[in-house]
Amino acid sequence: MKLSKSMFFDRRYIIVVVFVVLYLLRYVLPEAFVLEVVIQSIYVMGCSFLIGRLGLVSFGQPVYLAAGAYGTAFYLYYVGTNPYIGILVGVLMGLMVSIVAGVFLVRLSSSYFTLSNLAFCAIGFFLLQKVLVKYTHGDNGLWFLSKIDSTVIIDLSTTKGIVYFSFLIAIGVWFLYDYLMDRSVFGAACLAVKINEEKLRFLGYNAFNVKWLAFVIANTTAALAGSLNAIYLGFVSPSIADVSKAVEAVAISMLGGAGTLFGPVAGVLIFIGLKDIISQIVSHWELVVGIMLVAIMIRGEKGIVGSLEGIVHKSITKNNNKPVSW
Amino acid sequence: MEIDIKLAISAFVLGLGMSGVYFLLTVGLSLCYGLMRVISLDQFFYYALGAHITYTLINITGNFWLGLLTGVIAVLFIAYSIEKLIYRQIYKKPIMFSMILSFGVNLAGVGIIKYIWGLAPKPVKAPIGGTIPILGTDVPGYRVFVILLAILIYLGVWYFLNKTIVGTAVRAGIDDAEKVEALGINVYKLFTLTFILAASLSALAGGLHAPMIMVVPDMGLSITSFAFMVVIIGGLGSIKGTLISSFIVGQIVSFGSLIWAPLANIAPFILMLIVLLIKPTGLYGSKYLRR
Repeated sequence: MKLSKSMFFDRRYIIVVVFVVLYLLRYVLPEAFVLEVVIQSIYVMGCSFLIGRLGLVSFGQPVYLAAGAYGTAFYLYYVGTNPYIGILVGVLMGLMVSIVAGVFLVRLSSSYFTLSNLAFCAIGFFLLQKVLVKYTHGDNGLWFLSKIDSTVIIDLSTTKGIVYFSFLIAIGVWFLYDYLMDRSVFGAACLAVKINEEKLRFLGYNAFNVKWLAFVIANTTAALAGSLNAIYLGFVSPSIADVSKAVEAVAISMLGGAGTLFGPVAGVLIFIGLKDIISQIVSHWELVVGIMLVAIMIRGEKGIVGSLEGIVHKSITKNNNKPVSW
Repeated sequence: MEIDIKLAISAFVLGLGMSGVYFLLTVGLSLCYGLMRVISLDQFFYYALGAHITYTLINITGNFWLGLLTGVIAVLFIAYSIEKLIYRQIYKKPIMFSMILSFGVNLAGVGIIKYIWGLAPKPVKAPIGGTIPILGTDVPGYRVFVILLAILIYLGVWYFLNKTIVGTAVRAGIDDAEKVEALGINVYKLFTLTFILAASLSALAGGLHAPMIMVVPDMGLSITSFAFMVVIIGGLGSIKGTLISSFIVGQIVSFGSLIWAPLANIAPFILMLIVLLIKPTGLYGSKYLRR
């Protein structure tokens, strides 16, 4: 892969450095903001991977986030008290939802895939808000903050523990995606799906399975973010799967640069930062987010990291081969 | 579960009324996709805006029809400027740009509506009161009117596309926009025309739907899932498919809610999944309509 060769030193060090810097930002910026950035970055990572490496644009990301959050919430509210098992349950729930949804959705062509995901998100929201009221308590949500036990190594019942844990998880996720994207046959196969699916089939790969696996991995990552968020807030409500948040993940991916390793972090940092700042001036968040989406779509082609990588690549290699970017 | 005949007839008419609204709302989406290859999610903003303007005009003048007309005309101008200012810049980009962009327009629009009209639900009184007896069952006259109007609009759109010279150009553009351009027709003028046609139909749908539901700023977002199920089941870019699937979805929603209330939302979704399993492009969607 050209992209990984263009980097003159191992990207795995950069991952650690980026997150350590982000961790240190905690002393400058509010801790809640830093934590939100990290969790949202994990959430957006899967979406960014799907867009940038497979060409699949999913407007249904909130429903997978909600699957993870509700998995964790159900465990902690009804069954046990151990947050680690709660997160595990959440991730498993996300895994199951995305495996089943993948069977139906992955076979569709681009526009149909996007819109069916949007419909899935709307149905998920409806299920959580109206149908499963007995278990989800509808709009009142589930509160379980007091039920979270303190645990031995990293104490997840404290905010400090959650910050540590989220950063560790984030580094793990980034190592995984670094491997998936540029160091494995699977990553190459994903890119082949985006560029020429026919040829991939011709080479003897099952394109459906590649897409399905990528879909499941990406959405399980979203579920993981949902679990972390649930543990942090100690509360979930159906509003996390709201349709009005359907395109946020996609837009942030595009803002940062879809399919790049650090695009999600940059995108989330800017998007949430701007949203927080502007929302203090203008009270209607829909207006702010809407205008930001329009601006990103008109101005941004490759996103922040995408354009930076292009410049870096050009200056290092001095050839005209453009880096692989959507 | 026993459904007696009177209940069934009123459910049928109720479903037809919903089908009419869905059709008006989605025909624009379908036309936009067919001709311009954009997915115009901001149709839901025009829908909500049409309903709100209708509500305000009724409060001022007391006349529903004047409200409806003002709503449609106001949206026509707003859609014209949005098309000129924003859409022009993304016609050449991949389709996902239009989806996110139009969703952004939609969200911003909801924000503006919330800012102007506030969050409180607003009731609108039906302009046609009374009931019409059909097969011994009394059905609301307003619903019958909506159904007839939707059929009229369908015939109008059909006439426009098949019998007029501009409509023929639009149809040709749906088949192959580049060849139409090569014939010396300004495709962008067709785009503008189609877009404002779509938007004004959405506004009409909003105004007509207002007496059946409460007017709230989020009304566009809550109808999104239905509209997309209609479009996907019928097949993107097909007017005939949109008509048929809005009929089917309206009936499913209406009869589903008779059996078990949540079925109104879930049944169309299950139908959509089944249709997509059998035919991944919807009932009437063409395989070749891609970019």
